[in-house]
Amino acid sequence: MIEFEDLLLEAYNDLVRQAKDEGKYALGYTCYFMPEVLLNLPGCFSVRLRAPRSASPDMATYYMSGRTCMYGRALMERALEGGFNFLDAQLATETCTVTCRFQEHMQMMPGLINNPNFFCEFTDVPFKKNDNSILHYKDQLQAHVLDVLHEKLGVDTSDEAIRKAIEEQNEINRVIREIGEFRKLDNPTITGFEFALCQLVAIACPHYLILPKLKETLEDLKTRKPDPKPGYRIKVVVAGSENDDPYFIQLIEECGARVVADRYCYGSIPGREEIVIKEGETALEAVARHYLTTSQCTRFMEQHIMRQRKETLAGIVKEYKADGIIIEQMKFCEYWSYERMIDTFVLRRDYGIPVCSIEKEYTNGATGQLRTRFQAFIESVELKKLQSEQAERGVG
Amino acid sequence: MAEERMTKMSLSEKLGYRKGDLKNFVKYIADDPKQACKDFIYGKEHERRNLGDLYIQPTGLYRHREWRGLKDTLYYFTCVWCYTYGTMVGDILTSEKPLSFFKGLWRYRWVGQTYIPVLHWYDRGMEGMRGPALRASAWHYRGMTYSTIEQFMRMFARDLRFNDGKETELWKKTVLHNETVSGSVFYPFRDGGLVDIPLEMIPYFVTCHVNSNTVLHYIDAIQSLGLPSDPCPMCQAEAGVGIMDDYPDSAPCFVTTNEACDASVATSIIQDWFLNRPLYAMPQPMQYDDPLVQKRCQAEIEGCWKFVEEQTGVPFSWESFKKYAELQNEQLYFEREKWDVAARTNSYPINGVAQALYRIYYSQYGWNKTWQVLDGRVRKIMEECVTKQIDTFPKTRHRVIAWSCAPLYYSNWCTWAYNCWGLNTIINMDSLMFDKEIRTDTYEHALEDLSWYNELAPMRAMAVGGHKHIFQLWDYMEQFNCDMVVMYDQLQCKGMQGIKGMFEDEFRERGIHAIWFPHALPDKRTVSRAEIRDCISNYMIDVMHEEPLDPSLLDFDDSLTW
Repeated sequence: MIEFEDLLLEAYNDLVRQAKDEGKYALGYTCYFMPEVLLNLPGCFSVRLRAPRSASPDMATYYMSGRTCMYGRALMERALEGGFNFLDAQLATETCTVTCRFQEHMQMMPGLINNPNFFCEFTDVPFKKNDNSILHYKDQLQAHVLDVLHEKLGVDTSDEAIRKAIEEQNEINRVIREIGEFRKLDNPTITGFEFALCQLVAIACPHYLILPKLKETLEDLKTRKPDPKPGYRIKVVVAGSENDDPYFIQLIEECGARVVADRYCYGSIPGREEIVIKEGETALEAVARHYLTTSQCTRFMEQHIMRQRKETLAGIVKEYKADGIIIEQMKFCEYWSYERMIDTFVLRRDYGIPVCSIEKEYTNGATGQLRTRFQAFIESVELKKLQSEQAERGVG
Repeated sequence: MAEERMTKMSLSEKLGYRKGDLKNFVKYIADDPKQACKDFIYGKEHERRNLGDLYIQPTGLYRHREWRGLKDTLYYFTCVWCYTYGTMVGDILTSEKPLSFFKGLWRYRWVGQTYIPVLHWYDRGMEGMRGPALRASAWHYRGMTYSTIEQFMRMFARDLRFNDGKETELWKKTVLHNETVSGSVFYPFRDGGLVDIPLEMIPYFVTCHVNSNTVLHYIDAIQSLGLPSDPCPMCQAEAGVGIMDDYPDSAPCFVTTNEACDASVATSIIQDWFLNRPLYAMPQPMQYDDPLVQKRCQAEIEGCWKFVEEQTGVPFSWESFKKYAELQNEQLYFEREKWDVAARTNSYPINGVAQALYRIYYSQYGWNKTWQVLDGRVRKIMEECVTKQIDTFPKTRHRVIAWSCAPLYYSNWCTWAYNCWGLNTIINMDSLMFDKEIRTDTYEHALEDLSWYNELAPMRAMAVGGHKHIFQLWDYMEQFNCDMVVMYDQLQCKGMQGIKGMFEDEFRERGIHAIWFPHALPDKRTVSRAEIRDCISNYMIDVMHEEPLDPSLLDFDDSLTW
């Protein structure tokens, strides 16, 4: 785990360097809608962009103002500092405004990425999950990912190559899933922080280099004994907008909660399901269907999907035997500001789930305030649990 | 502060009386009776008008209306004031269910709050205007007033609340749609008796222009449920109207879209929540000029048509679509003629605010007989101006293009900017949207063009799909022969905020004078009108080193105005 922590301290980490030294192309992306699997075709590897250890993004604030999501600005600042010069390409999506604007800067600002061969290509992602949208998405992935990678970098994008990439992706997904299963135990043998490290290294490092280390971790976890007395007071699900900061999870856990599920951007739910190629489907069709249908992104607009999202979230709470849910929203994220407000209301009213609703920054700046909020929430849930136990026993 | 100031004012001051008024007036006539007589007949010259002196501060009301000269004052009084008040009564009496107006007035707070100040909205927009510019701009305002009455009367006639919950035939044959879904999508059903109503256009969009106080209540309502204050306030207000249950329940179904931004998508969730009716989402692609997305976008429109047929029982009619699409094309051709006149001559007779509001209003609402009639009248005025080479805005010092999304609570800033500084707003970004004719020779062509038409929607076509769209500014500046840019700095628009630095760099590199002013779309509390005026005045004084045309407009308090 210490090694994983080290790897997450910068985007251009040791494993990324190693893969680059081996002559592989580094392909950046920011969103789940850019299928990781297609960026791990032979000769290249995916890096989901992060800006760890960010401070005040002053230069980026000039370009993107102080009234945009800090995730986008932190990435921009890191790019301006030269932290993404290792990238050979950015496979962009216009899925939320500010990350889109950041990626447009990558496209239009000469020298922002100091690599003469660097290019940035945008993919359009539909807002629905119907058949028409899957076809839309498939066409886009073909034209703006596969064809571009083939033409510009000579990557093998054949059906056979994609099938192989799917197999490898399924393998890493399986390992992460199995690690995540330990969170479902009555007394989980893995902390939310540890799991977040595993999940994040899997998206921030070349798969072929990180997989053996993840497998090793899985084997260790199989023999790990749970603490006789749980070191937490309640179990919670964390849902919300972008979070690639494992120390945010650690902060929650330090307050006495155990984070057992991560349904946020950069989390594993969804993201670690098996990609299945149905009979008669091409590998690309399977990828398009998989990523569109598994996504729980708040930008989906169909009526039944908007309603189903709440059910899914309540289902996760039940599946992971959580006592409550923390809904976090990155300040200035418009999608999640609405979704958080509604979830806070609906999950409490319709599903009886205690909700802690918070707004946060990309950097873990307001630690003291957040700690107070989490402590108060944990206490209130604990109290409710105690009261219901007493009621069941007929006490009081 | 403003409230305090109001309480200290005497009743006569509140009514606009100032000590010495009568004496000054008599002195003005006695000093130069010939000039006074000339002023009475022709009105004062621009530099002597002192329009700022007409305000009762801080209410923004007028002590008395401006004397525009005999002819224009008479025109304004009869053809604008009396005519508009007449139509505001007459149009209600001739609507489907006249009595429902009173129910609506009682039930929905936005009706009463908007109905009373309509003429003040005219006054603000047409302050200081004369001759053909006054007449042509007034026609645009009249068109919007008529259509507004038509829309809310349609909503009230169908409202389940006013019909004891009875699902009437009118109700069954109506579709509500997000105001950013163009009315053109519903052309195939119009001859079959379907009525399509843009849900938010009157309760939110029109109300903020007419009375900027109305919307504040709705913004507060949604924030009280836990929504942060930073998302786009337009979407906040739209959601707030829903939360307060202030949308008439006028149709069995609803069509929504992802236009214009992330917050609009998120607002759909709220709309689904409070409307609780079958909902069809008809999103537009973000990378909309990618040829690959067109087919998929067209399929969504066809999906919408199927949905409307299923929900209302009104069948799709190609003939109906063709008819209205062709009428819409005619309107677009005239719009292009107007642009041409605005770009190449000084004889364009429509002021910045009338042009902007009318263009966005009619293109969202879709074709309507009213537009045809008033376009005919405006054409006549414009042709006269061009033929006689009338300089419609003779005090123009700079030809301005306004870019990004405008402050709804101060859409008449351009009238003020012309009167005070001679800044003539020739065109603005949102007016350039929907610039697409629809071919009607085949179904396929029509569908293809309709799809494109909707992709080029206001507040969107320039803001998404790549920076190349937002930077079309440079081409339009050249096309419209503009020498200055007014950049609307909508504080909560993530798309525009996210590219601010690049604009600054480009302005510097190209040597373009750009005045940025911040605003919060409908929410006047974030940036006041006075602050907006200060931004412009400071630039004109400090950077351009120019003198105001009318110094009385430099500093006045209208913080309590509608």
